[in-house]
Amino acid sequence: MFDGLLLVVPGIVAGFFGSLLGLGGGTLIVPWLTLVMGVPLIQAVGVSLICVIVTSGAAAGVYLERHVANLRLGMTLELFTAIGALVGGLVAFLLPERVVQLMFGGLLVWVSISMARRREPARPAGSSSDASGPLPAIADNAGDAPEAMIAGPEVAPTGPSFTEQLSGPGYHVHRLGFGVVGSLFAGVVSALLGIGGGTVKVPVMNVVMGVPLRVATATSNLMMGITASAGAIVYLVRGGIDPYVAGPTAIGVFLGASIGSRVAHRIHVSILRGLFVAILLYTAWQMLQRAIA
Amino acid sequence: MTASNPGGLSGLATGAGSARSSQEPGAAGLERTIARLLTVGTYASIALLTVGVVLMVLNGIGPLTGGPTFDLARLAPDLVSLRPAGFLWLGVLAVIATPTARVAASLIGYARGGERAMAGIAALILLVIAASVGLAQVARGLRWTS
Repeated sequence: MFDGLLLVVPGIVAGFFGSLLGLGGGTLIVPWLTLVMGVPLIQAVGVSLICVIVTSGAAAGVYLERHVANLRLGMTLELFTAIGALVGGLVAFLLPERVVQLMFGGLLVWVSISMARRREPARPAGSSSDASGPLPAIADNAGDAPEAMIAGPEVAPTGPSFTEQLSGPGYHVHRLGFGVVGSLFAGVVSALLGIGGGTVKVPVMNVVMGVPLRVATATSNLMMGITASAGAIVYLVRGGIDPYVAGPTAIGVFLGASIGSRVAHRIHVSILRGLFVAILLYTAWQMLQRAIA
Repeated sequence: MTASNPGGLSGLATGAGSARSSQEPGAAGLERTIARLLTVGTYASIALLTVGVVLMVLNGIGPLTGGPTFDLARLAPDLVSLRPAGFLWLGVLAVIATPTARVAASLIGYARGGERAMAGIAALILLVIAASVGLAQVARGLRWTS
């Protein structure tokens, strides 16, 4: 019973922080399960992928209802995140745990720095406190790219091309090739480390492809579901998911995200972000120390 | 999934049209249908996982005792016997299947709307998902390094 609470409560915390700060739960769940609960890293990643799908499913529904997410762009890119996740899932079982720990530690440092530099939390339209469903912003590290940077070089449309069809109201999608490469990489990282991959996808869509930040965050969130699914299937088939750990943790994440979306307007996110950065840096230190020791 | 949603299936029927996302009624209908599918799938998954966790507590099973590995053949007997693993595995399967169902719904919607490119992409995504099942099975024999 006590162990169960030790999974549900961190899940709630991860979901809560994620919903307020625009992060996926994986950056907290994986370290908690491995460093505190003693769950093998490969299983922690598998459980985290399940949590990512849960949070994505709940939030993406809200984003689509409100027409914030770009379904066509999301589906086009998620074909490649899914391929990347399939590869990443297979590779994860071949890598020594120490290597994955090092990679995860590096990821935490990167996310911490990005969050510390961020001025305003990413808050897509569907994320406000009036959201009827749970979960607002869940893309990992969604606010990296300043919105001003989306005004990259315009590519003059020469006809109703496929890229043109992927564009949305008020913006044109360009450099689809970079998006494809970024999506492949995001998929690999997602399946290797149990995260949503928004850390990679959102900056690529926003800065490189010219998609507005709000749309990029929401679309990344939509894509996370299928990306994490492709990876989670590999973990499921290969015994990398423990149902006794996954159940309480996923419920906790769902509850935390639901609470977060309802109290978001009452919380000083800047203070919360500072606390979160401190937690992430401490966790990164622990993870790297363990990998190097 | 859309029993209480009159516009749900019509979203699939009208497809997405040929214009950009969210700009036409057909696209909006498809997105609304998919949104509801995702929400219902997520809530159903959480409900199943909750039943499994409650059964764990009632049976005195700790979460760190090492759960059973996934075995499709054992799923139905576990559910009938009200074993926690049955509900937990069904919940996990529902979680994983929800985004795939979303892609399948998109495939139908885009195909009915005559959007061959998007329908083709949806079909390819489903192919990758199917490949991940197959390749994971093939790779099962590889070395576990954890």
